[in-house]
Amino acid sequence: MNRCLKLIAGLTTVGMLWACAPASRVILLPEGSGKPTAVEVKTATASQVLSSAYQTASVDADGGVALSITEPQVVQARYGRLLAQKPPAEEQFLLYFEPGGAQLTAQSTALMPVILTRARDRKSGEIIVMGHTDRVGSLEANDALSLQRAKTIRELFVAQGFKPDLVEAVGRGERAPLVPTEDEVAEPQNRRAEILVR
Amino acid sequence: MDSKILWLSALLLATTASAQDQRTGTLKAMTGDVRLGQGDSRHVAQEGGGLQQTDRIVTGPDASVTFTLKDGTIISVGPNSTLELTKVKFDTTTQEGNLMLSLLQGTIRVVTGWLSKLHPEQVKVITPTSVVGVRGTDFIVEVP
Repeated sequence: MNRCLKLIAGLTTVGMLWACAPASRVILLPEGSGKPTAVEVKTATASQVLSSAYQTASVDADGGVALSITEPQVVQARYGRLLAQKPPAEEQFLLYFEPGGAQLTAQSTALMPVILTRARDRKSGEIIVMGHTDRVGSLEANDALSLQRAKTIRELFVAQGFKPDLVEAVGRGERAPLVPTEDEVAEPQNRRAEILVR
Repeated sequence: MDSKILWLSALLLATTASAQDQRTGTLKAMTGDVRLGQGDSRHVAQEGGGLQQTDRIVTGPDASVTFTLKDGTIISVGPNSTLELTKVKFDTTTQEGNLMLSLLQGTIRVVTGWLSKLHPEQVKVITPTSVVGVRGTDFIVEVP
């Protein structure tokens, strides 16, 4: 504590903020899309919510939580390298099946090399293949069918030499329709695979 | 002969499938000395390598690493840090699960994924003095 006070004596305001290191610190960053965002910081004795960008919680060794607001430049100066590590935003592609099977439409087949190139351009790029069905059939049957479709596409990427560990097949069944329908309604737009490249 | 090949490829498929089930995350870019392991064992981490529940990630001075989890969460770890993936479960079909990260030392930046959108109460970052509950998307936690 003494060392801390001495440090503060000769420092600027910005320096002061960081001079006395807390036991932990949490900084809320702005939400890219402008949606509301928040985190809650809890200790054995206190609890605080950070709800605006650059709000900072400093937790002391006794569990006290002090709130303050920092500035983008300060965060950039201290955490610039950490922030720069974030990979580019994930990309999404949609593939459609010919009716009644796991055969892709001609247009979707033509998209496959594009997806591969995008994934290979990334550092340890991953491909996530999410199969979807319409609502004809039971939930369980559609989970299985969507996984089967996703696996078929996964094999196409693997056959092109994409590292098997980095391409994952996921079956979402009828849980996430593109076009919401009543149960048991056939809807071609829902029989699709969503590809995420991250 | 044919049946032997079939049997072998079935075995191979089974092993890759289970390795994929165990994989909860993927190491992306890294710089410097990054080590990974469970308990007291550590090995040098590699880009593209997988992460499993209870793995500890340890970065040296000037080192950093970024990894993704199955739900799309992106975590960047700064230098001189120790982070444990205490609980990482995510069912890709139902999008349910839980995520608990323990930051023992150093700095992380977390950009949350689907799990925190659907079940925010299931996502936590623990430090030696506090628990960070997630209701938003993007934040830094530091244990100096």
